[in-house]
Amino acid sequence: MDTKVREDLEVNGFGASNGGQFNHVTLNGFSTVNSDVDCVEFKSNGFGTVNGNVKSEQFKVNGKAKFKGTIESQSLFIDGTAKIDGNLHAEHVKISGKISVGGRIKSDEINIKGTLTVEEDCEAEIFSAEAQFNIGGLLNADEIKVQIYGTCKVKEIGGQIIIVKHKGSFFDSIIKPLFTAQLETDLIEGDKIDLENTIAKVVRGNQVRIGRNCQIGLVEYSEDFEQDKKAIVNKSVKI
Amino acid sequence: MSYELRIYPVNKILQFFFTCVTLLCYAVIQKGVMTMSEELISKKDLLELAGISYGQLYRWKRKDLIPEEWFVRKSTFTGQETFFPKEKILERIIKIQTMKENLSLDELADMFSPNIKNMEFEKDELIKRNIVSTTVMNFYMENEKGGQKFNILRMLEIFVLEKLLQSGDINLDEAKTVLEVLKANTQSIQQKSCDILITRKLGVSSCFLLVNAEDIYVEKGTKIVSQVSLMTSMEELKAKLL
Repeated sequence: MDTKVREDLEVNGFGASNGGQFNHVTLNGFSTVNSDVDCVEFKSNGFGTVNGNVKSEQFKVNGKAKFKGTIESQSLFIDGTAKIDGNLHAEHVKISGKISVGGRIKSDEINIKGTLTVEEDCEAEIFSAEAQFNIGGLLNADEIKVQIYGTCKVKEIGGQIIIVKHKGSFFDSIIKPLFTAQLETDLIEGDKIDLENTIAKVVRGNQVRIGRNCQIGLVEYSEDFEQDKKAIVNKSVKI
Repeated sequence: MSYELRIYPVNKILQFFFTCVTLLCYAVIQKGVMTMSEELISKKDLLELAGISYGQLYRWKRKDLIPEEWFVRKSTFTGQETFFPKEKILERIIKIQTMKENLSLDELADMFSPNIKNMEFEKDELIKRNIVSTTVMNFYMENEKGGQKFNILRMLEIFVLEKLLQSGDINLDEAKTVLEVLKANTQSIQQKSCDILITRKLGVSSCFLLVNAEDIYVEKGTKIVSQVSLMTSMEELKAKLL
């Protein structure tokens, strides 16, 4: 990327600008960019809106931001809330807060604390979440480590290692009837699967461990199968 | 098992006979349909047959080594299951397994994708690597009048010409038409799966570029001289280059 000729863009207060090619883009306050942005570093503090695609190397949102297009970046940090209408392609994703993606996520490493909503598929090598999430398509990652908070929904899960945990606290036991922490999915397929608080129709894997509070329709396993006393498994088959 | 002989009215027997025939015919048609479309294999059977794990399959899917279209969803008695076109997927898995020893998964993904990477080779390099013969190279340079450096697109063009000319399917005049067609449609070639088709009727030949075509039918008396898939050619070419 030829960065020498690029200028910086800074919008402060209540303002708007057109997009283009920049070195650093900083949006402070209540600001809007009205077209595509191609930059090295993108930073939005406060309430930022981009009515177009963003391409950057580093991408950071503090506060609340809205994006009409797709985002392509090497790293992406969100502290606060971000809404992306298009797809998200970023090698490293770290989210503290809330993100909703209208398209799909493709990444190397996703780390989420908070809430995640994805309309389509979510792909990564490592997906670790302490979150409440809702994925409309397939969650596909080599290593999936999830601690669930609230109701999580995924259409399907596939990968090598899939671990779903729920850390029960005293607080949970009081309000349990109101908020049940569980993961709902149609299908889980992986080599090593370890589940808790999961409702799934079918689970297929080599080593399967079904922990407490699970409701599984069918388990198909090829090596090991282990079931907790507090779990319900309608049928299990060794292949 | 024992069968009792009972006397049925003749029309009942006839009716039964016709039902049998109808069923039989239906079965025959069904079988015909089944073999016409591609044979599918379920994900479970595929893993067992190919000896791979779920982790590997999902990893390859993530790396786009297996195209999205091959994941066919069907509802079965256990709910939704995923099926694959058997021949295509097995061929692809064997390719991946044999090649992943030398190449990383990302390099493999580049190879299978129709998108074109930035690769450039010198004219002599191509001849030296036995990708093109000197005669075809000279013919190409004469007609195309381009530089000494070959990007992947020009390499594909010359590779296809080499294939067609060496097989003896086409003559030099026809090769010129093929080159013209390829040159005029570079945009589609880069993005879609295309086939080059050469037909001949009464000694007059023509060349077509088929974009995403499933089947083609030609009139009687027209002979399909050769059909080359550019996607496969690209894979072959990339395999030779890497």
